[in-house]
Amino acid sequence: MRVAIGLINGMIAAATPILLAALGGTLTFYAGIFNIAMEGMMLGGAFFGVLGSYYFGSWVMGIISAIVGALIMALIFILFAITLKVDEFVTGIGLNLFALGTTTYLLRQIFSVKGAFAGPGIVPVPSVSIPLIRDIPVLGQILSGHNLIVYLTALITLAVAFAVFKTRFGLRLRAAGYNATSLQMSGVSTARVRVWSVLLCGVLCGLAGAYLSLGYVTLFSENMSAGRGWISLAAVILVNGHPIGIALISLLFGFADGLGLFMQQSLPSQFTSMVPYIATLIALFVYSIRKKKERVAA
Amino acid sequence: MRQKLLNGLAGIVVALLIGAVVMLVQGYNPVETYLALFNYSLGSGYAFATMLKNSVPLILTGLSAAVAFGSGAINLGQPGQLLMGALAATVAGLYLDLPPAVMIPTLLIAAALGGMAWSGVAALMRRWFNMDEFITTLMLNMIADFFTYWAISYPFFDKGANSPMTPPISRAGWMPEIGRFNTSVLVMLLAFIVTWFISTRTTAGYEWRISGQNSLFARLGGVNTSKNYMLVMLMTGVLAGLAGGLIVMAGPHRFIKDIGANYAWDGVMVAMVANNGIIATLLYGLFFATLQTGALGMELITAVPRELIMVLQAIVLLVVMAGRSYFDIIANKLAERQKTRERVA
Repeated sequence: MRVAIGLINGMIAAATPILLAALGGTLTFYAGIFNIAMEGMMLGGAFFGVLGSYYFGSWVMGIISAIVGALIMALIFILFAITLKVDEFVTGIGLNLFALGTTTYLLRQIFSVKGAFAGPGIVPVPSVSIPLIRDIPVLGQILSGHNLIVYLTALITLAVAFAVFKTRFGLRLRAAGYNATSLQMSGVSTARVRVWSVLLCGVLCGLAGAYLSLGYVTLFSENMSAGRGWISLAAVILVNGHPIGIALISLLFGFADGLGLFMQQSLPSQFTSMVPYIATLIALFVYSIRKKKERVAA
Repeated sequence: MRQKLLNGLAGIVVALLIGAVVMLVQGYNPVETYLALFNYSLGSGYAFATMLKNSVPLILTGLSAAVAFGSGAINLGQPGQLLMGALAATVAGLYLDLPPAVMIPTLLIAAALGGMAWSGVAALMRRWFNMDEFITTLMLNMIADFFTYWAISYPFFDKGANSPMTPPISRAGWMPEIGRFNTSVLVMLLAFIVTWFISTRTTAGYEWRISGQNSLFARLGGVNTSKNYMLVMLMTGVLAGLAGGLIVMAGPHRFIKDIGANYAWDGVMVAMVANNGIIATLLYGLFFATLQTGALGMELITAVPRELIMVLQAIVLLVVMAGRSYFDIIANKLAERQKTRERVA
């Protein structure tokens, strides 16, 4: 039982950053932008989260500055991909490398360390223990005691699903991707809708970064996003952008991550660390088989 | 051609100016810093030789990315392919001991095969299951990273070492030095010439480029795009694998953890700045190697952290890209104006 609860909690913890970034990615996906810059935005968010938390001694400032950091990356993306019309893919790769270089440099310049910065000065985002629920046996241990950002993420998932399918903004968002010309003809600026989608993606990736450096662990290390932005992109592609589907697939990736940690008792850690990436490949494989069948059926 | 060259040079100058502003803001002297930087990469025979040696993995992975992107195959697996190539060359070098004239080509082939096998996996996933190569290659990068880490921690671990690394490879597999110059540069130049020849002087290269520009047009014109895709993936894997093998054979002569450093991603960056041009990749690769080699001297003399170079490189990339599409936008506007004028007249 203890193991099962541990696995479930590990799954939720590992799924959170992927889910947040993927929700950001899905907004741009609906808006018709090929956005692969989640990795860079998340990394920027993680660094600025630590910076804000350390200098202001407050996790609230940490989260705010993480979002600002990711928004800076989002603005660069907008400048290049939307204003200057540079290829979105090239912009994304460039931005990810820019984020990696800048955070590594700033880590050295501001904190005078190489590799990683951890210190008692960084204030982590607190965990929340929910009264009443926490006293329920088993269920209480699963539902209560997570990081604040985890609960926020659950709300955001519902909010994004609602916004995309039930609001005017969501309709315009989907129209921007589905038929940009019609949207333009109806008097709504497609470019403006797209700018908003990238900005919102920046906010969500900033939160994902803050969770990485102030929730999951309390430190910043070089390239700490470690491919999670790419995994989140895979999640978006696998479910065609549906927010609830993304939540489920993120939990699946989170489960693979937790399983890897669990297997460390019997396998070298190098192999268990591969598990999330292998899981992504398997998920893509299953997706392609299913698509092939659909095509044959049609 | 001239506009491209101008755009490239302007991009570099603007990026260096932005870098200077960054330094000024932080209280460093930019002139002194740049002098130290270029002095330590171009200022002496030794520095120049080091710069050339450092350019080898950059240019090879850059060529790999340039050929792949130019042909419409989004192979982002250079980091993984480089590591697998390096591991293959190391393992061959540990168990074989042949005369250098046979040994060196053997290890190079091992490295090429290692890289090719890894890109081949991604290519087959695409061909059989239609899985997007840009995600699969990225995932394979992470897997190769952990796999090589495991290989040098357990089966090929040097019992006398404190950190994960293999024992040194046989002496016969070391790339010889001519004076100060390491011969790995010659292998890189050979690979460059072959790549240039294939992509500009053969039918296959023409078909690759056409497929990259317009896949449908290529297919209607009778190009076997799926065969070409396989060839491109395998060849770009070979180039990245060679980069890994040459790092081992020219440098530490063993596989040390993090041996790939950031070479492969820098190579991808070089290819993007070069807009997938083969010759441009060589030139920008040399420029990036100059920055990286000088970084150490810059840190030594002026206390500017060498990580600044990573920022400078990314700024070069962004500025050159922006410049390229800005030129396009202006050119389009001029053409439009011309058209309107003709219509009015």
